Amino acid sequence: MRRSGLPLVVVTSLLFGDVTSAATRPRYGGTLKVAMRAAPTSLDPADSSQPESLARRNLSGLIFDTLVVLDDQDRPHPALASSWQSEPGSQRWQFYIRPGVTFHDGTALSSGAVAASLRAANSKWKIFSAGPGIVIECDVPTPNLPGELAMARYGIAKRDGGKLTGSGAFSVAHWDPGKKLTLTARDDYWDGRAFVDSIEIELGKSLHEQMISLDLGRVDLIEVASDQAQRATTEGRRVDTSSPTELMALVFTNDQHSSGDLQQRETLALSIDRRSLSVVLLQGGADPADGLLPNWMTGYAFLFSTDMDVSRMQSQHRNPRQMSPWTLSYDATDPVARLVAERITLNARDAGLTLQPTNSVNADLRLVRIPLASLDARIALTNLATSLNLAQPTFNGDSANDLYVAERTLLQSRQVIPLLHLRFASALEGGVRNWNTDREGGWRLQDVWLGTGKP
Amino acid sequence: MRKAMRNSVYNRLIRDVPILPRRFQCFTSSLLILLLLAAEALADNWTSPAAQLAAKIAAVTGPGTVALDFKNHSSLRQTDVDEIRRGVLIQLATLGLRFVNAEQAAATVQVFLSEDLRDYVWIAEVHQGANESSVVMVSFARPDAQLAAHEAAAMEVRKTLLWSQADRIMDAAILDGTPSHLLVLDSNGVIVYRMQDGRWQSEQFLAVAHSRPWPRDLRGRLILRKDHLFDAFLPGIFCRSTSSAPVTMTCYESDDPWPIGTDQYGLSAFFAPLRNFFTGVLVPGVGKQTTAPAFYSAAALPREKYTLWMLASVNGPLHMLDGITDRTAGKLAWGSDITGVHSGCGSGWQILATESGNNRGDTVRAFEFPDRDPIAVSQPADFGGPITALWAESSGNGAIAVSRNSETGRYEAFRLTISCGH
Amino acid sequence: MSFRSRLLAGFALTVFVSVAAVTLIVSAVTRRAFERANDERTTALVAQFQHAFNRRGEEVVQRVEAVAATDISTRLALNLNRNAPNYAAYLSEAKSLADSQKLDFLELADSDGTIISSAQWPAKFGYHELFSLTGPVPKDVFLRQEDLPTGPALGLSAIRKVDVGDKSLYVIGGRRMDKNFMASLELPNGMRAMLYQKLSEEKAGAAVSLQYLIDPSGTLQQPDRVAPLIEHVLKTRQETTAIVHWSSDASDDESVHAIPLGGQDNQILAVLILGSSRRSVVELQQHIRSAALLAASVGIALAILFSRWTAARVTRPVEQLADAAREIAAGNWNTKVPVTSSDELGALAKSFNRMTGELLERKEQLVKTERVAAWRELARRLAHELKNPMFPLQLTVENLIRAREQSPEQFEEVFQESSSTLLAEISNLKTIVSRFSEFSSMPQPQFQSVQINDIVRNVVRLLQAQLQSGSRIPIECKLELSGSPQPIAADPDLLYRAVSNLVFNALDAMPQGGRLTLRTRDGPNGVLVEISDTGIGLSAEDRGRLFTPYYTSKADGTGLGLAIVQSIVSDHGGRISVRSQPGQGTTFVIELPRNLDKLPVTGLIQTEYEAKM
Repeated sequence: MRRSGLPLVVVTSLLFGDVTSAATRPRYGGTLKVAMRAAPTSLDPADSSQPESLARRNLSGLIFDTLVVLDDQDRPHPALASSWQSEPGSQRWQFYIRPGVTFHDGTALSSGAVAASLRAANSKWKIFSAGPGIVIECDVPTPNLPGELAMARYGIAKRDGGKLTGSGAFSVAHWDPGKKLTLTARDDYWDGRAFVDSIEIELGKSLHEQMISLDLGRVDLIEVASDQAQRATTEGRRVDTSSPTELMALVFTNDQHSSGDLQQRETLALSIDRRSLSVVLLQGGADPADGLLPNWMTGYAFLFSTDMDVSRMQSQHRNPRQMSPWTLSYDATDPVARLVAERITLNARDAGLTLQPTNSVNADLRLVRIPLASLDARIALTNLATSLNLAQPTFNGDSANDLYVAERTLLQSRQVIPLLHLRFASALEGGVRNWNTDREGGWRLQDVWLGTGKP
Repeated sequence: MRKAMRNSVYNRLIRDVPILPRRFQCFTSSLLILLLLAAEALADNWTSPAAQLAAKIAAVTGPGTVALDFKNHSSLRQTDVDEIRRGVLIQLATLGLRFVNAEQAAATVQVFLSEDLRDYVWIAEVHQGANESSVVMVSFARPDAQLAAHEAAAMEVRKTLLWSQADRIMDAAILDGTPSHLLVLDSNGVIVYRMQDGRWQSEQFLAVAHSRPWPRDLRGRLILRKDHLFDAFLPGIFCRSTSSAPVTMTCYESDDPWPIGTDQYGLSAFFAPLRNFFTGVLVPGVGKQTTAPAFYSAAALPREKYTLWMLASVNGPLHMLDGITDRTAGKLAWGSDITGVHSGCGSGWQILATESGNNRGDTVRAFEFPDRDPIAVSQPADFGGPITALWAESSGNGAIAVSRNSETGRYEAFRLTISCGH
Repeated sequence: MSFRSRLLAGFALTVFVSVAAVTLIVSAVTRRAFERANDERTTALVAQFQHAFNRRGEEVVQRVEAVAATDISTRLALNLNRNAPNYAAYLSEAKSLADSQKLDFLELADSDGTIISSAQWPAKFGYHELFSLTGPVPKDVFLRQEDLPTGPALGLSAIRKVDVGDKSLYVIGGRRMDKNFMASLELPNGMRAMLYQKLSEEKAGAAVSLQYLIDPSGTLQQPDRVAPLIEHVLKTRQETTAIVHWSSDASDDESVHAIPLGGQDNQILAVLILGSSRRSVVELQQHIRSAALLAASVGIALAILFSRWTAARVTRPVEQLADAAREIAAGNWNTKVPVTSSDELGALAKSFNRMTGELLERKEQLVKTERVAAWRELARRLAHELKNPMFPLQLTVENLIRAREQSPEQFEEVFQESSSTLLAEISNLKTIVSRFSEFSSMPQPQFQSVQINDIVRNVVRLLQAQLQSGSRIPIECKLELSGSPQPIAADPDLLYRAVSNLVFNALDAMPQGGRLTLRTRDGPNGVLVEISDTGIGLSAEDRGRLFTPYYTSKADGTGLGLAIVQSIVSDHGGRISVRSQPGQGTTFVIELPRNLDKLPVTGLIQTEYEAKM
């Protein structure tokens, strides 16, 4: 089942969209200034100690390439791997490495370097180089391996002692962990030199600071809180939003202990007015989440719909006195999380439940935000389950129904109550041209160019 | 199954089949028919999944009475939904189910027509008595977005859709003849299409080999030649086709200047091989002027005694070279791509220039230069997305414009001509 | 105690008592006045605070009115009339409006009480207000318990209604009565305000939870001290005032006013505690007390000095009079008292001077009289003394004459006999004359250190020789001498003569025998010598005239013996006295001063002294 890699520029064009914009051809040069809320202290794509986030993926994608990239329709396309094939059973895969690719330090990308990099990212796989390619052997059938390899954590990096070198469109010029990252465009990048000469990324900036910096013209690109996207647009800023991808959910810290506990969990799930959360609190910056995965990804999520049902809710808590209060923790630095937590508290109160918002780590319930790890639904669901400390989903087959069954099983554990799928939003300075994001909201800064005053 | 479905998608590019070269003829008017046929073919595709879904529903309910309801959660049009509904009902009926209202039914079936990233997902939620509902579903690949029917604008700038594909198109050229042939230059090479049965059928693919990475804003140009079929210019690469069957193409690394004018008003310029602009070095030059600021595109505007060359410079201003002086025009709202077209209308030659449209797409508009400043002589022609290429045809009678459709994401190559209008 | 001391003590006591009394009275009066002033000040401060509080309330009303007057409110009210509220559009409006008007709480609600936008709990849209919005909108500010995600809180709220169409928009805004609010109130100096919030979480009748006590200054050390006050106010619903002792230092005390604050339904929602420091009053009182003590001390000191001066001024003439009297008593009759004033003391001094003048005159008259009498006595004595020998002389001469005329033969014999007689009588006359001469030429004493016992013993030694001659009558002589008498300065010869004169007088007084006792004693200022006999004694008349010269009770005395004794004792600065009863003996007592200052300097010094002379 050999799949020949499509010529790379096809992929580039397909994925990244058109590289011209608004009648003007892209200009080379200039420095793109970016501000981000995340403050990663490591750029290593395989560093599992750093929280998985879109921001991290955005950074990683500039410096490190993956073997495969997924397009907006979840189709894998060649990147560092020019082609791949799997043996029957999808447990053993062979990836052929694109020739002529070099790391930032000028050394050629070898199959050995790729194998070493992937081994650092996943120790469960058996990975070895074989001629111009590498072979990956998995314990279990992994039909989605190319999709999995498209994840940022499988970015190919050369680790020389503490030094990290990638093969991406930008090399690291300056790195102040958690504070600032300066990247320089590579002229010899295999997928074409990026248009901007460099990117300066300020890390750890609050959304408010970012907005001020943008309004003052200090930065060209910022993140915008999901609930502020609409307002920012109304106020005349240039805002781009992704599909609803990031899951916001309530996760129970402990397993259910009794039928009463289960009933209480169901009552809570029924009490939440997701529509108000999405439409009012998030200002349309999120969709009500029925399932763990967004409906645009699965097509069936509405089947899990748990619209606020007062009658069912009331029938659930005939004996409100027996309801034990729960503590609910949320990220206090996240204003959206605070709003949602407060609303849920109100909703729960209507159902006779007492939720006490807290910043304690040992709360009964956690309000979490988990970005979609991949456009591949199976990979995304598996990662969500890992992030939520749920049992790993099992897929009996390749069909949509199998995915549905796996997700339903996760939901039926009553360990998690999906609330919303949030959209990522970015605001841009007017001079930023050819702005494109992937469906998950990931930035494609390689294609961005600066339109005014920066030849 | 999903992959099988995907492969059966209509009008999918098949590169692997080599075809013999033919002479090409002009063909534009049958495109509309083509689209209508495609729509008809789509309708046929619902039968199989409808049957599958019906079978799965019947497997849950068994023969008996059911109440059926349909909800569309997908991008399907209502007509398609009705079609599907009919198909499912027919299939269920053949499987022994009778349809009654909800109160009388042994089972209620809620059918959702949904979709995910790639596939249609049709789901049936079956409620039987007090039992928990059962869910069955079928999924199958969605066809690529249908080609939008673009009518030629009844404007002075007329655009005619030549070809649409997912890969980026650098340039296109129509070879008149019987049958007509269409050359499409993309990053992989030149694809030759032949008009057959009212459709462009892929005939041959001539690959472009290159060792250096392509620039990100890849540009290329096809020049029809008289002594051989065509030359293809790509950054750092020059390709030359043979003149007779079987057509082959030889490519080699070259920094030779690209022709930027027409057969009649020829001028060449060196292209920066890692960038997306011409360096400004002109061959043989405009009069005595052999250098100009770096520019994206050029347009020739023949005057009585000289040819005025307009260069859309990288820095923004429009430079006008008359052989002696280099003037810059006042502030214009033009884009990076301009070209000169001989229409015979007005002064005979017009400049086609890209502009930012009010909506998502760019526009192309015709201008004349009676004096220093341009005067718009046409309404802007709208495109469904940004224009990625605008080249004059070798004849100079028209231009090829490529835009990326913002809705479908596909690249569309148009032939632009200027009609004298009313 | 001298008159001056008594006078001084009297004055001082009077002044002290007066000052103490004045101090106490002034202190009590001022304390009462200050307490009253402090009460008035506290009342004024409370009024001032309440004014500030009310002003804050007015600000809240103004701000809420400002919110109600905004275009946003009007637009929102208009939209309410057109269609269902679009919560999303107004989610952050309340927050923005609240921020712009610096309100902590702001809720926009429709006439049903449904919250359209909430600043303090943005997630609360669509929920109902805790209290009814029906009825007239309260004009003034009121206390209200606000529901916050973190729990209930107290707010100073106002409601305004925006009437645009059929449906009204209610703007409910307020400021949170928290630490910041309390801290923002302009407090008069020396005052602090605390607020006890009675939130619904508290159960009725539960003990006061001091966690709800807001102390903006953060200086409240023992909040439990105000708990009883709060409880009392919550119970009685009446304003209460008390003095709270925070420490043993009275200046830490506070006058605490606890004022109940009620909400719309007259339920007490908070107790405002206004503490007014009593430090200034206490310190003022302490200052006054200190000042009073200082003034009293200074006053008493000055009074003593003044008393001394006054007493001195008053007593000096008296003392001068006393001194003058003492001088006169000592015989200095020319002493005069200066007359320094014209008051009673001046008059007394004049009288005294006049008296001494008269006394001196009388004395001189008396001396003249006595001298005439003495001369008469002397003349009589002389006549008597001389007449006695004259008479035998006359007889003898007449006898001789007669003999020569009548018996010349016998004349020789008679002549011989008469010559002897004449010579004897002339000798007798010479003796008499020499005695008088001797008395008149009594020498001045030559002082030297003398042991009185030695002199007495010398006299007794001479006496013993006479007593043992056998021809005398039996006389017992007894010596009672002091053990270790102090030496005195005296002339031993004169003293010997005086003592021996008295001893021989005693012997003369005991013709039938008796006992003679000689005693010496050390007195406080000198020595005493007593010579006692058991003789015939003296009559009162004899005692009166005993030391008069030439007076004698003896048949053959010249009357000069005791006069000489008195002269000697007097020349030594001493005194002689006599105790006697007729038939019971007589005792003479000589008191002699030590006179050590009269001892001559000895040796070289004496020589130098003499050389200078």
